[in-house]
Amino acid sequence: MKLPSHITSTARRRAESASDRTPIYAMVGNPNSGKTTLFNALTGLRQKVGNYPGVTVEKKIGTTWSQHGKPIQVIDLPGAYSLAARSPDEAVLRDVLFGRREDTPQPDRIICVVDAANLERNLYLVHQILDLGRPVIVALNMMDMAAAAGLKVDAAALERALGVPVIPCEAVHGKGLVGLRLAMSRVELPLARHRWDVPAAVAPAVAELQASLTDNEGRAPLVARAEALLLLTDFDTVRVAGSRPLSARTHEILGNWRQRWESAGTDWAATLIRSRYDSIGGLCQDVVVRTREQGPSRSDRIDAVLCHSFWGWVVFGAIMTALLFSIFSLAEGPMDWIESQTTALKGLVNGAMAAGDLRALLTEGIIGGVGPIIKFLPQILILFFFVGLLENTGYMARAAFIMDRPMSKVGLNGRSFIPLLGSYACAIPGIMATRTIENAKDRLVTILVAPLMSCSARLPVYLLMIATLLPGDAVSAGKKAGLMLLMYALGTFGAFGFAWLFKRTLFKSAPPHMIMELPPYQPPRLREILRQMLGRAWLFLKNAGTIILAISIVLWALTTYPKHPDPAATPTEQIAHSFAGQAGHLLEPVIKPLGFDWRIGIGLITSFAAREVFVSSMGVIFGVAGADENPTPLRDALRAARWPDGAPLFTPLVCLVLMIYYVFAMQCMSTVAVVKRETNSWRWPLFQIFYMTGTAWLFCFVVYQMGRSLGY
Amino acid sequence: MSANTQFPLCQLPIGATGRVCHLAGDDSFCQRVREMGFGEAALVTKISGTTTSLCLVNGTRIALNHSAAMSIVVEPIPVLGQVSGLREKR
Repeated sequence: MKLPSHITSTARRRAESASDRTPIYAMVGNPNSGKTTLFNALTGLRQKVGNYPGVTVEKKIGTTWSQHGKPIQVIDLPGAYSLAARSPDEAVLRDVLFGRREDTPQPDRIICVVDAANLERNLYLVHQILDLGRPVIVALNMMDMAAAAGLKVDAAALERALGVPVIPCEAVHGKGLVGLRLAMSRVELPLARHRWDVPAAVAPAVAELQASLTDNEGRAPLVARAEALLLLTDFDTVRVAGSRPLSARTHEILGNWRQRWESAGTDWAATLIRSRYDSIGGLCQDVVVRTREQGPSRSDRIDAVLCHSFWGWVVFGAIMTALLFSIFSLAEGPMDWIESQTTALKGLVNGAMAAGDLRALLTEGIIGGVGPIIKFLPQILILFFFVGLLENTGYMARAAFIMDRPMSKVGLNGRSFIPLLGSYACAIPGIMATRTIENAKDRLVTILVAPLMSCSARLPVYLLMIATLLPGDAVSAGKKAGLMLLMYALGTFGAFGFAWLFKRTLFKSAPPHMIMELPPYQPPRLREILRQMLGRAWLFLKNAGTIILAISIVLWALTTYPKHPDPAATPTEQIAHSFAGQAGHLLEPVIKPLGFDWRIGIGLITSFAAREVFVSSMGVIFGVAGADENPTPLRDALRAARWPDGAPLFTPLVCLVLMIYYVFAMQCMSTVAVVKRETNSWRWPLFQIFYMTGTAWLFCFVVYQMGRSLGY
Repeated sequence: MSANTQFPLCQLPIGATGRVCHLAGDDSFCQRVREMGFGEAALVTKISGTTTSLCLVNGTRIALNHSAAMSIVVEPIPVLGQVSGLREKR
């Protein structure tokens, strides 16, 4: 029968658009299954890294090519043990697969990356995904490690049992990629034939929820069944911004069933998990053969030292010392170079343009504002290199294991350690590193206290104050270093003290449970580490650089306008006349009890851009050029500064109080912006400003007033 | 086996193997532990640690802090026979 032309043309157009459209694959797997290594091997440098809107979960999309040369889009989803989400990362995985996210198309096909050496546990997630009734390819990764562990995994038997393509591979060595690409190029993929029996008592609940999800949420029947099973085991589910909520009817049905089960005292969630594992256990019986008894592996032998109650600490201390040493010493040269380039650029602009507001905006507002942030890039790169190296080799999980005991004293667990350590370099990467903390309360507490760790931006302020407080060569370097160390100790104790306080008040909860898989040790893969390091550094520049640029321009305007009526006014007179100067005068009654005058007040306001801006602000206010490069004349100018009654302004007590102020006060707009991004709310950055700056004021007030009463 | 031979995982001697009898934590924790294959009837071998424990479950090394190890109740078994889910080569 010949169909009318408008019907055949529509059908043809649909068929053409379907074949022309780039297919989308989602790559999923357990943490440490080698998923990202496989993703990198497939997509190479053709990756776009961003964030899922509204949440701070990294979104990685790459392109690979079919055997016919057609592009295939691959989304690398966060690692998870189950579709029952416990963290924002896992919630994104669940929502993308269920088509709950507006910003990400539902994938056409799914690649499940499975660690062949831990098949039983890895198959749990695969089992949940097979329930979705979507085309799936299983990448049986780490076959070499399975063999080394004395396991023989029969990929063909697994393929027969599951009914979906199973491709053995070793992503680290690039093995199996051709087979995987061939499977990805297939026009049609078979649907899973593996079925499992839902316990009879749970079946009515599944059926009712499935019907509601089909009718009210518009889910396909199989997806609705999978989601119904998930909802019944998902008691403490994580919802994230950008995800479509469930309908009221589905909520009601779910609530009724939970209530019924609770009153009956039956743990059906546990029963469902057990049923899945029973089914998986049967599968593994048929496909995994232990060829020999496994003795202690290489990882076991290394762990015997690195997780040892004494030697573990020795190695850990050595690694952390090397990390801190690298951040502070290796970065020095590149940081100086960036600083000199910034100064040269300023000189170039000054030479090329006539004096005026536009030139000042470019040199002082834009270059002067963004320069100090770019200057920290070498430290950020080194930190991320080390973090990548430790993650890549498998040591990071051991560091968290070792640090768990001291961290538990303040109510946190070992996972909070690395973010806090990273905050010694800069709070921004430290706060970004909290994404791995599963418990939302622990993550928030870590974010709130991370900026108390003395970052490298505080160093110039400490150095200037120590130079003013302990001048000349008569004072030994040991005393100066001791004072510096005291400031670092104060910040560290402050961070731990506040974590302890928050965990007992605002974020009260039972002692956190930490359960963490320790991956096998692996030799570092430099390419992967460098790629990760550069990706994270770029995100840092993009996130912090754009915001700091905008606020720098605002701060520049505040110190430039209104113009002093006398065109021949000195920079000091101009700044005193500006909005910032007026704000400094307004601020004086608040900061006078700390021993600070309006000029220090201007420094406190301008250094909200970045703490080290305090030094250059003091240079401008006290009429000393090049204060950043050479603090000695500034030190003399500060020592000569007087109150209107002739009393010295920068007494040793004031210098000490000023350092304490910078230890505790939230003086970094980039950190504020990053905390806003990470918590997805203004509530927590505002709270952070309030509690940190409030503590700084209170602490300084007590020290200054006590010092005064003791005659200092 | 009688209930008095059951104790929290943190009390399992280093090198010993136990069978998970029940989980005593909150719903969320119990579910995560079960999903990781560490649920009731799983075999666990303690590798090291007293406050923070390092264990081997189904060939995977898992670290648990003290409160997590307190929430997993095990009974010791004398000898580790067959690893769950795998068959021995004849």
